[in-house]
Amino acid sequence: MSERWLRWFQPSRRDPKRDVDDEIQFHLEARISDLVARGARPEDARRQALHEFGDADVVRADTVRIDERIIRRDRRADWISEFIRDARVGLRSLLRTPAYTITTVLCAALGIGVTGAIVSASYSILVRPLPYPRDEQLVTIYADNPGRGYKNVNISWPDFIAWRDRNQTFSGIGIFTWNSNTVSGGSGDAERVTGSEISPNLFAILDVRPAIGRLFLQNEDERGRAPVVLISHRLWLRRFGGDSALVGRTINLDGRAHTVVGVMSPGFNFPQSGDVWVPFKTDPALESHANRGYAGAIGRIKPGVTVEQARADLHRVDAQLAREFPNENDGWQAGVLTMRDDLVGELRRPLQVFLVAVAMVLLTVCANLANLMLARGAARGREVAIRAALGASRGRIARQLMTESIVTAVLGGVIGVGIAWWGVRLLRFAFPDQSPPFYVKLGLDALAIGFIVLITLVTGILFGSVPALRTARANLDATLREGSRGAGTGLHRSRLRAALVVSEIALSVVLMVGAALLARSYKNLAGSDLGFDERHVLSARITLPSSDYATRAEVANFYQRLLTDLRRLPGVVAVGSAQGIPFSGWNVQGEATVEGAPAPKRGEELVAHYQRVTPDYFKAIGVPLVRGRWFTDADRDSLNPVIIVNELMVAKAFGGRDPIGKRMGGSGSPHAATVIGVIKDFRHYRLPEPMGPAMYYPYASYPGWQQTVVIRTSHDHPQSVIPELRTAVRAIDKRVALYQVQTFGEVVSRSFWRQRLQGNVVSVFAVLALCLACIGLYGVISYAVAQRTRELGVRIALGASRGRVVWLVGRQSARLVLAGVAVGLLASYFAVGLLSSLLYGVRPTDPGTFALVPAILAVVAFLAAVIPAARAARVDPIIAMRSE
Amino acid sequence: MYAGSIVAYTSNADGYMPRTVDLLQGTLDLLILKTLSWGPAHGYAVARWIETLTGEVLRVGEGSLYPALHRLEERDWVESSWQISSTKRRTKVYRLTPKGRQQLKTETGTWSQFVDAVAKVLKTEERPL
Repeated sequence: MSERWLRWFQPSRRDPKRDVDDEIQFHLEARISDLVARGARPEDARRQALHEFGDADVVRADTVRIDERIIRRDRRADWISEFIRDARVGLRSLLRTPAYTITTVLCAALGIGVTGAIVSASYSILVRPLPYPRDEQLVTIYADNPGRGYKNVNISWPDFIAWRDRNQTFSGIGIFTWNSNTVSGGSGDAERVTGSEISPNLFAILDVRPAIGRLFLQNEDERGRAPVVLISHRLWLRRFGGDSALVGRTINLDGRAHTVVGVMSPGFNFPQSGDVWVPFKTDPALESHANRGYAGAIGRIKPGVTVEQARADLHRVDAQLAREFPNENDGWQAGVLTMRDDLVGELRRPLQVFLVAVAMVLLTVCANLANLMLARGAARGREVAIRAALGASRGRIARQLMTESIVTAVLGGVIGVGIAWWGVRLLRFAFPDQSPPFYVKLGLDALAIGFIVLITLVTGILFGSVPALRTARANLDATLREGSRGAGTGLHRSRLRAALVVSEIALSVVLMVGAALLARSYKNLAGSDLGFDERHVLSARITLPSSDYATRAEVANFYQRLLTDLRRLPGVVAVGSAQGIPFSGWNVQGEATVEGAPAPKRGEELVAHYQRVTPDYFKAIGVPLVRGRWFTDADRDSLNPVIIVNELMVAKAFGGRDPIGKRMGGSGSPHAATVIGVIKDFRHYRLPEPMGPAMYYPYASYPGWQQTVVIRTSHDHPQSVIPELRTAVRAIDKRVALYQVQTFGEVVSRSFWRQRLQGNVVSVFAVLALCLACIGLYGVISYAVAQRTRELGVRIALGASRGRVVWLVGRQSARLVLAGVAVGLLASYFAVGLLSSLLYGVRPTDPGTFALVPAILAVVAFLAAVIPAARAARVDPIIAMRSE
Repeated sequence: MYAGSIVAYTSNADGYMPRTVDLLQGTLDLLILKTLSWGPAHGYAVARWIETLTGEVLRVGEGSLYPALHRLEERDWVESSWQISSTKRRTKVYRLTPKGRQQLKTETGTWSQFVDAVAKVLKTEERPL
């Protein structure tokens, strides 16, 4: 061991080539002189020695190689043992100052933890492959009409056929619709499950295989074929006990027997969660080119083809279609999005914002830690100087200090992993329904942990290097002399610390501005006048099986009876039903015309939302009538229908004039309808999408199988009527499934989840940065006060008032805060551009926000500075001066 | 790895003819450890001791001694230091470490077992049943 130590201290003397040469040389000379001593002639002795030795070059090369290996190993071992020694010393000295250690470790842990959480979430959402092989080739295809401002509209059947058959860049295009079905049989009550109708090629395009059985056959979508179904692994386990003999047998779907042809793999979902899939069947003769809005399409691009090329290819087909069907297809074109963009595109910008924000938090953390380290370094100036005087090299001291900061970072990193783990779990709750969609696997995996280790080390080195170098480079002589006088002024160092505090304050200003803007956006959104009253309202969706309810009269009877029964329940104020309630995504729109008005120019047609509602629907959702009358049960004439329109329709179609009695054509009926009432506008589309003109037909004129029932109650907790609702449905028909049972309030608040997430996450970061900045400020000011104790004591002794002393200290903090705020506001002014697309009802450069943030900061910073200032004011001049 | 070879000089009708016999790597290591167990020595001394003790029957191919020594050093069985010889030359002196002494004990045991086993076979006159 001792040898190795010696070697370490004489590292430059190790030259394996020279050593080995010397050794061999010595051997040969010794042999020659031995042989000569025994009487050999020198030349013979030399020849014999060389002969006995063998090939000296080979021996030399081999030996040198071994030596070099030993040197490398020793260096590594020395470095490690030295690091361990430094770490041990560092840990001991950290334990001596628990307040410092806890502050720094927690700072590091927070910075590392939140960075780890956000980076890992961003990776999961934006980078990790979708659960389909070669997902980069998959695209979602919509219909766009840029001229009329339509984007991401669903597609029509004939368009799909044209794209499928005429493209040159896809290996396949499939179609699907969103669907839900009632499953009965197996174990349990009838239940409603979601799924979709798919073209037989769709799952092959996704390149997924069933766990048992097969996918659909080429022609299983033809009309008249026996019904078949694919089910999810989940449903298979839950309802059919994982019976592998199920494949080939039939299950009851919407009242009809369907043969199960396959069970998909565990974890497979489509299009959202999805439990049953049936072939997409349609009568092509009935499908018009203009009937967009009911199907989605997914394509797989051929290898080597870019998304742009595929898009151009489909646009070529669109141009042909526009010539062939000018009335239906003029202006329409395929919108081709990568599947990832389609699924998570709306999260891209918020995540970018989070990443920038978290980087700023991490920078604040580093600045703060560097600041704390510098303060500590200053306090330890004497210790360092003494060690230097005793012969420790500057590099050695710097390394020791650096090791200490890495130890801190590692401790922080360990806690940080815990925080990140917890943060990722918390993010899970941020998604609607407390669970992220299937294609997002949130979690801390090896990659995330690896990244955390990396940022831990970077953090340690970043915040450790400046103070380490500075402390080690400190003027030994001066420090020792200063030290004899108590505390050093270290002007240079305090300037660096001031710069660090200013940048911390500036970073937290930027984050606070961002957080305030996002929080205001959320508040604007959540607080905006929706035009309806979601409180006290319960909603539930019902679909009647068409096998049991063959005619519209039967359907109407069912709903008539259900609504009447529900109306009689205690605590129920109004009951209505509609095809889709606000914020539910039922955004069906169609062209509308006013009788007698000139035909609109192409591209300027009036487009209106339409649906069929029962008489009490508007009362149930709390929308008032402006003029005219409500629907009654008598409004059931489908040849001469009546309609209620909203105020936006009055403004747009009637120029604000009274529409009552006027007749309109619309997509809800083939016959012109008479306007009988006008309701106040309400937000039917999910915010921030603006509301447009709307027309409502009486449900009784054209009853549909699928309805959303809304029940206005007098309860604060409308959930309390759920049992009665279930009983009421079961009393009429046991086979009818009730689903999406939720309060209207839940529907509304869920629709704001992204905005809420944005506001919350950035606010947490802003508060974090603010706390860090305050810790930094507090540290700098207390340090300054400690340094000036003597000076302040003298001032007090010479008659300076306590107030004057507080002012002296306060002025110093005020300067730092002002500088930080100024830099921060300037940086914010440029940084908010990143946010603009996420804001709602507030401008990025909102003057209120830009005024509020400095005010908050000033108050908090004042609190951080007032403690050391008060301490300064309490300085006893006698003690202050004697303490020297 | 450098093959540890030992040159065995055997007499025959034509006089001394060198014949290289490849021995187990461990054999040379064992001989070196044994010689160093008497005290520190430089490479040349180790070579002479092995030569003397084996009655010049087994003679180390002397160059091969050095990679072997350095490898033992790499394994921490021996350690080395530079000293100035009586002829005022820099010489590298090797010394057995406690780990090396332990290794020597183990190896000696293994070797004896090996020799006994081989001897037993060679001394047996009759074919075992």
